[in-house]
Formats: sequence, C-alpha cells, structure tokens
Amino acid sequence: MLLEVAGLDVRYGRTRAVRGMDLTLDSGEIVTVLGANGAGKTSLLKALQGIVRLAAGRIRFDGADVTGWSAPRRVRGGLTLVPEGRQIFVSLTVHENLQMGAYSRSDPVDAEIEEIYDRFPNLAARRDMSASVLSGGEQQMLAISRALLSKPKLLMLDEPSLGLSPLLVIELFDLIKALNRDGLSILLVEQNTHMALQAAHRGYVLELGAAVISGTPEDLVNEEQKLEAAYLGGG
Amino acid sequence: MDVLLQQVVNGLMLGGVYVMVAVAFTLVIGMLNFLNFTIPALFMVAAVMMWAAMAGGFGADIDAVLDDVLGAPNKWIAGVIIALVVVSLASLVIERFTYRYMKAKYGDATEHALPLVSSLGFLIAFEHLVIGRWGSDPLTIDSPFGNASFHLGAVQFSIPQVISLALSLAIVFGLSLMLRKTRLGRAVRSIAERPDTATLMGVDVGRIVPVVYVIAGLLCAIAGILFTINYTTVDAYIGDKVATVAIAGMVLGGLGNVWGAIVGGLFVGLLEVLSIHFFGASIVKVPIWGMLLLILVMRPTGLFGHTAIGKGKF
Ligand SMILES: Nc1ncnc2c1ncn2[C@@H]1O[C@H](COP(=O)(O)OP(=O)(O)OP(=O)(O)O)[C@@H](O)[C@H]1O
Ligand SMILES: [Mg+2]
Repeated sequence: MLLEVAGLDVRYGRTRAVRGMDLTLDSGEIVTVLGANGAGKTSLLKALQGIVRLAAGRIRFDGADVTGWSAPRRVRGGLTLVPEGRQIFVSLTVHENLQMGAYSRSDPVDAEIEEIYDRFPNLAARRDMSASVLSGGEQQMLAISRALLSKPKLLMLDEPSLGLSPLLVIELFDLIKALNRDGLSILLVEQNTHMALQAAHRGYVLELGAAVISGTPEDLVNEEQKLEAAYLGGG
Repeated sequence: MDVLLQQVVNGLMLGGVYVMVAVAFTLVIGMLNFLNFTIPALFMVAAVMMWAAMAGGFGADIDAVLDDVLGAPNKWIAGVIIALVVVSLASLVIERFTYRYMKAKYGDATEHALPLVSSLGFLIAFEHLVIGRWGSDPLTIDSPFGNASFHLGAVQFSIPQVISLALSLAIVFGLSLMLRKTRLGRAVRSIAERPDTATLMGVDVGRIVPVVYVIAGLLCAIAGILFTINYTTVDAYIGDKVATVAIAGMVLGGLGNVWGAIVGGLFVGLLEVLSIHFFGASIVKVPIWGMLLLILVMRPTGLFGHTAIGKGKF
C-alpha cells in the first residue's frame, strides 16, 4: 500500500471539512475522489500534503508514518500536489517555474527539464518569458510538469480539468493515463466525473467531508443515483 | 559651478548609504509585504557599535584588549565584526517576534498590521538601550582614515566615501544577481508571490524568512558602519534620521523594486545635500517629504513600479 489514510479529520474553526476519512491507494493506481462543491476534496488533499493541520487521523505513505511531517519533508519523500487553480508563479519565467518544481532535489535536473520541453513545445517556446503569458491549458501543463520535477511517487491533482476546453480536457486525461502507464501513482480530485471514472482504477465519493461510496468505477456508476444525490447536495 | 558639482558628488556619496537601507526595506516589503521598522534600529545599532569599538565605548577593559590585539589605528576592524555579529543576532530575534510569532498565531503574518507594530516596539527598545548605556548626545570618533582624498579638477573625492559608494553598489548588485540567478533567489521570489505554493515546491518558508531578515539586517549594518566611518558622528536617533529618508527613496523607486531602491536612494541623497546647499539645513526634510507626497499622489507605484503596491515584485 503506497498511501493509507485512517480516520482523517480536518476542521476550520467550527466547520468540519473532512470527517473520519479512510482512504487507500496502491502503487501504480489512479484513484479518484469525487464530490460536490464544498464536499472537502481540497481539504483532504491539503491535509495529505501537510499544508493544513489534521484534527485527527493518521497518514502512512511509502512505508512511513508521515502524519507529523512538514509539507516540504513530504515533498522530499515523494508526495506532490498540483493545487486547485494551477498557482503558477507569474513573477517567474516558465523555466524558473520548472526549476522551482525541482527545488526539493539536489541532483541535476536539466535533462528532465529538456524532456518536458520536448513533450510540451509551447512551454519550450516561452521558456524565458513570464509564465503569465501562458494560456490556461499551457498553465495546467506547466503546473503538472513543475510537480513532476519533484520526482513524486504519488502525484495529487486538484481539479486539473477546471476551465479547460473539451479538447484540452481529453489531452489532459491522455497525459494523466500516460504518466500512470509509466508507473506514477495518481490521486485525482475531479468534478468531471465522466472523465475521471474513465481514467481511474478506483474512486471515492465525498459528501460533507465523509466518503459515502467507494469502489471500482463500475461500482460508482452502479450507485449513480446516490452519486447524483451527492452532487445535488442531498444525501 | 565647482561648488555645485562638489555638492552633487557629496549627495551621491550620501545616497550610497540610503541605497543600502532602502534596499533592506524593499527586500522585506517585496517578500513579506511588511514595512519593517526595526531596519532603522539595526542601522543605528551598527553605527553605534562601530563608534563604541573605536572610541572606547565598551569600557576601559575591553578597550585595552582591543588596543592590545589590534592596535589603536585598527580598532575599526573590531567595530565591523561586532556590528555585523550583533545585527545578525538581533535580526534573528526580531524575526522570531515579528514574522514567526504572528505566523504561528494567526496563520498568515503578512496580512496583519501587528508585525509592523511590534517592529516599531523593537525600534524604540533598541534606541532606549543605547540611550541607557551611552546617553542621547552625539557620539563622535576621529576618522580612522584621516582626510584621505583626491581631486578631479576642483572637485574633491574622499577616498573612504568613494570606496563606500562602490562597496554599497557592489553589494546591492550582488544581491540583485542573487535574487535573479540562484536557487535561494528563486525561493525568495516565489515566497513573495505565493508563500503557500512555494511550500508545495518543498520550500521551507520558515527557514528562508530568517535568512532574508539577516540579509536585510546586514545591509543596514554595513550602511551603519560606513556612515560612522564617513560622517564620524552618530547618536541613538541616527536610524530614524537616515531611515526615514531611505523610505522616501524606496517609495520613489517603487515598493519591492531593488533597482528602484538604488535609483531612489541615490536621488534622495542628492536631494538632501542640494536642499541643504540652497535652502539651509533647517528645512531639509521639507523637499524630501514634499517629493514623497508628490510621488504618492502622482505615481503611487513609484518611478519604476510596474504593478500595484504590495508584495511580489523583485
Ligand atoms: N480556509 C478555510 N477556512 C474555513 N473554511 C474553509 C476553508 N477552506 C475550506 N473551508 C470549508 O470547508 C469545506 C470544504 O471545502 P473544500 O475546499 O475542501 O471543498 P472542495 O470539495 O474542494 O470544494 P470545491 O469543489 O468547491 O473545490 C467547505 O465548507 C468550505 O467552505
Ligand atoms: Mg476544491
């Protein structure tokens, strides 16, 4: 088991954003977490990365109990989040954004950056420009590439398809599947249920901070009514 | 004409001191959106340490040791070392009680006015520590380098001043290069823009911030050291006097803009010396603050500021 989460709680004052969440992810899996707005998906990922405090629960990752680890230490340990809204550094160039992705490493990364430029010629063409010139789709590619440069064992993506055109969404999911075929484990938070279930091996549906359904994509589709209810905010 | 030219030279030399203090301000503002009022205190502490080492201010015992080890003409070396060490340590203490305390208590220190208030507290505390020990009267030394100077035409250049100006510009250029080209510089710039995202890259923000405090402190310390050597008279309030002018220079150049702080610092040095020349010393603050207010009304982003006032632009 690469990731094992037990009884995870996240609170913001009185708001209980995540309640008693259990989640597992095997090496090589794509696991998706679905849920309506405000269900607690982002809070779950932030807790896994260590940028919000846990109110309760334990996190095991890659054979170690990482519950007490700081976020930078988790990055060094192979756990990397691509945050909601991409969060590109626009005061840095495209190239510097990629260099920031490799911040946690001390080995040379130039060759890996060149590979990324081969994969995304649009990034290569703008390498020395401010990252603010990139389109939304290019920014998402940069955000994912930046995260890949930390050499993650588990890549966590928070709504990567948000705001992308249908064509770019297809391209994005092709990339996610390709990365997974190359051995990368992925935890994918999405509102695009259809695409996410197509790519994932397993999934969870969150409602008011707790998993109400979990299982294979078929299981989730079979409980579609429940799923729809979750999206309408009912139950 | 020659008199005026001499004033221009003097103004630029004085500006070199303002440049370093202005860059120290702009570094902390650019990164943490925090106007750090301990910067004048650190400038003053360094200037006074420099005076104390050279004028026996630490007491007869220590003075005798310095005389033995370094010899009377070289006591300025002890002043430099003591000033740098004291200011570095003070910077770490200040970081602990301004930025880090607020961050731990409120989550995001940069969104609160409290660090500003506590930094003001540090300024007053440091001033009173110095007054308690050495009083509030002017403290003077004999210049360790005498009147070493050379002439170009009718204009006189003091050699220590020329070296000081060159040194401060070199340090600031080095800093700007560090910000643009190194891993630490990228980390600082990414924290300036998005501290939370920088954390996602594995940047330990809590360890970079003290480094920046120390760098800003060292800029002030070097400025204070050079000030004592060149102008030979300091007092407990010298930080207020110098730093308020440096703030004007920084605002002129645009908040958070290192290059702007260089030009702004030199400009206010020039403005100060020329104002004294034309209008007398008693109203020297009027043109400087008048210019500052004009800038704030006409171009609040400063001469070179490209975006709105705030953090995240180096
Ligand atoms: N910093 C915060 N302070 C207080 N409450 C918060 C904070 N962040 C999130 N919340 C609350 O926690 C709950 C879960 O939010 P979260 O962002 O995790 O949901 P989400 O599933 O990611 O939603 P979305 O699909 O809109 O991104 C919501 O009720 C939200 O209002
Ligand atoms: Mg979210």
